Amino acid sequence: MSVGPLHFMALAAVLFSLGLYGVLSRKSTIMTLMCLELMANAVNINLVAFSHYRTPALMTGQMFAVFSMVVSAAEIGLGLALVLAIYRLRKTVELDAMQELKG
Amino acid sequence: MSETVSPVMFLILAFATIGGAVMMLSTRNVVHAAFWLLEIMVATAGLYLLLSAEFLALVQVLVYAGAVSVLVLFVIMLTLRRREDAIRPYEPSWAGTIIAALFLGALYMAITRFVPVIAEMPEKVPGVADFGREMFTTWMLPFEVASLVLLAALVGAVWWSKGGDGR
Amino acid sequence: MGYVLAIPLLPAAAFAVLAPLSRRLRNGAIAVSVGAVALSFLLSIVAFVATLPGGHEAEAAYHAFVPFAHVGDAVLGAGLLLDPISASMLLVVTLVSLCVQVYSIGYMHRDERIGWYYAVLSLFTAAMLTLVLSDNFLQLYAAWEVMGLCSYLLIGFWHEQEAPRKASLKAFLTTRVGDIGFAIGLLVMFNTAGTFDFATVLHGMEWAPQTATAIALLFLFGAMGKSAQFPLHVWLPDAMAGPTPASALIHAATMVAAGVYLVARALPIFEASGVALTVTLIVGSVTALAAGLLASVQHDIKKVLAYSTISQLGYMFVALGAGGLVAGMFHLVTHAFFKSLLFLGAGVIIHAAHTQDMREMGGLGKHLKVTTVTFTIGSLALAGVFPFSGFWSKDEILTVLLHEGHYVALAISLLAAFVTAYYVARLWFRVFIGPQQTSDLHEAHNEMLIPMGVLAAVTVVVGFASPAFAHFLGHEGEWPALGMALGSSAVAASGLLLGWFMYGRRTKVINTRAIKQRVDYVYGALVNKLYLDLTYEYFIVRPYQRHAAWLGRFDSNVIDGVVNGAGRSWRALAAVGWRFDASVVDGAVNGLGQLVKSAGGRVRRLQVGRVQTYQGLVVGVLVALMLWIVVKGV
Repeated sequence: MSVGPLHFMALAAVLFSLGLYGVLSRKSTIMTLMCLELMANAVNINLVAFSHYRTPALMTGQMFAVFSMVVSAAEIGLGLALVLAIYRLRKTVELDAMQELKG
Repeated sequence: MSETVSPVMFLILAFATIGGAVMMLSTRNVVHAAFWLLEIMVATAGLYLLLSAEFLALVQVLVYAGAVSVLVLFVIMLTLRRREDAIRPYEPSWAGTIIAALFLGALYMAITRFVPVIAEMPEKVPGVADFGREMFTTWMLPFEVASLVLLAALVGAVWWSKGGDGR
Repeated sequence: MGYVLAIPLLPAAAFAVLAPLSRRLRNGAIAVSVGAVALSFLLSIVAFVATLPGGHEAEAAYHAFVPFAHVGDAVLGAGLLLDPISASMLLVVTLVSLCVQVYSIGYMHRDERIGWYYAVLSLFTAAMLTLVLSDNFLQLYAAWEVMGLCSYLLIGFWHEQEAPRKASLKAFLTTRVGDIGFAIGLLVMFNTAGTFDFATVLHGMEWAPQTATAIALLFLFGAMGKSAQFPLHVWLPDAMAGPTPASALIHAATMVAAGVYLVARALPIFEASGVALTVTLIVGSVTALAAGLLASVQHDIKKVLAYSTISQLGYMFVALGAGGLVAGMFHLVTHAFFKSLLFLGAGVIIHAAHTQDMREMGGLGKHLKVTTVTFTIGSLALAGVFPFSGFWSKDEILTVLLHEGHYVALAISLLAAFVTAYYVARLWFRVFIGPQQTSDLHEAHNEMLIPMGVLAAVTVVVGFASPAFAHFLGHEGEWPALGMALGSSAVAASGLLLGWFMYGRRTKVINTRAIKQRVDYVYGALVNKLYLDLTYEYFIVRPYQRHAAWLGRFDSNVIDGVVNGAGRSWRALAAVGWRFDASVVDGAVNGLGQLVKSAGGRVRRLQVGRVQTYQGLVVGVLVALMLWIVVKGV
């Protein structure tokens, strides 16, 4: 068996779906953020795999992955800061406790 | 790493990532979940090594396994008042399961129809040095923009975590 | 020879099984862990036999290498190297680990977290075996760090209490200081040689003396942290807050010997430097004597043994500093056996007497028969009495010093041997002889006594392997000369006699106060551990805290000022915008708003306010779109 891009795509798809399930089901903000990281990670695996199989010399996919990492690092930093701010305000990090958007 | 990806290593690492994700979602303890996330990130770094992306593997370990995991753990510790708060109730979600399964199915159908075109590996596998050259020539502008994004995120994170406008 | 891989892999697998299940398993954890290390031990015997009859260290009996990554032209990877040095270390590590794990069945059986305890012991064993089987310095460093982690976890095993928690942090941080030296040394090595391979780095290239000195001194610094050499020894006595069997394995027999092993492996680099050898010699002899003196004033039985370990490790450094690879390694081997034996015995004694303070012990000899016999064997070996193993290895070290002409080091070593015999006698007489102070003394269970018996038997016989061991490592081996043997025996005997004179005679109250008054300054310095902890407190910990506080003030005054200023100017800008907003835009918006409001009233039922419902809706629509695209086959 030789490992091709399809295998990596399948792996990434499974990881992404697991992360998606987590985002939709967890009620803790921190867990939700962690699952978001998992999804971003799946995307990066795809990017690097494409880079390896499609543009090995130019490394375009790797460049994309680097910028994707920058953005998700910024996201997790801001997200966790928000969690802290929310926690300070209401002493909880449960998503269910935040229902101001109710119409 | 050579051009061909070792199937054994791939299987081991795929098992490690997916198994880690399943464990992360099935454990009831938030702290344990954070450690499983760390395991997933390290296994992903291994996948990058398999794909001859050494620099990305290093960055993955530094940024995700190092910084992000520690940050997540810190926030967990800061927002827990008692040790027992780390244990959470089971929270299965039918809607979530159905949507995620449908999503996976759609992706599966898309992947099976996808015919990959594989480019030839050049004689000399590009290494970290080539990556650096590429980054600071072709990708110079995006690189600078990315640094601005990080700076903005840094200031924003400090601002918010200090309590925002109030103080 | 592929089975060599299984030797470190079996305990590693045991850890992988036990770590997630540690809360549920008790007897199962014991079975898995002990079974794995027992199999490793059997395989180590096979591997040891395969390396017979030994020979020069460069000829490996087995070598395998798996590349992991290419950095430039260099190949990084993991390898297994089985040669005489690693084969003998394998035997020592697996045998001591097996004994300690069997002993722990009895010692730890009441503990709640016994599963976790065995998991960490397995991880530690795996790391130590990986370390001795490494074929390159990078892998050695990785295993080295894993052991540091295990040591931290085991010292702080009873983390509900204050002392173990503090001790584990102190141990971790102090050894980290040394590890930084080791890491920089690795970088220098990689920069010069372009590889970490033993074969290339140790035997395949000529080192420039300056480079060799830099690398060797940095490595030595790392080894001083790990092997608790002066002045980085402060963590080891505190580390005794951990469970006693773990101390026997990690802080007596194996992990602390890793520093010695590192120097022994890198000895060609040390020899290329010359200066580094001298430094090793000085560090070793200072440690051997100073730690021996410190051991003679401690009252805690485990701390006496801890300082004794530091002192004996100093001996090994002395041997290596004189270029005596065989002598250093042989002392490592014999010391591993008799010191773990002493620690296991101390565990039984502490259990029986319900105290660690030797002043509250006494008269245990009548009740703990087996422990007394085995502990005595260990004590005599430590004191260097013929024919126990310590005698042979100590004599080898002294012979090397004599041959190489290091007379000052020889004198210091003899003095240290005298001190060693003295504190051994002090310990022995205090614990086993004298008035009995505790009632209901009882001997330990068999699963604790059998490992001690095994170690005692090894301690008795292993000394006679002295010339054979030298041949095995590919060197000339001889029995110690009669003159040296008699001289060192005389030194040991006089030390024991002094100990008997002060603690063994049938006096009812031991009058240490009189001695204290006579040598007040010396005694004070020794009791305060040569003031080293205080020095560190004043010159490192306090300034660090002050600096941190200063940084904190800087943070809240300067940086916050900048951020707040930015925020304020943004608000001012917003105020200007607001005025425009209120007058012009609002008018337009309000009209539109009315429209939206009436429409919104109808959609409002969708707005349940749960974020996840929104997410689910968004993703659901996205998935429907994707399915449509895929099924239609655009």
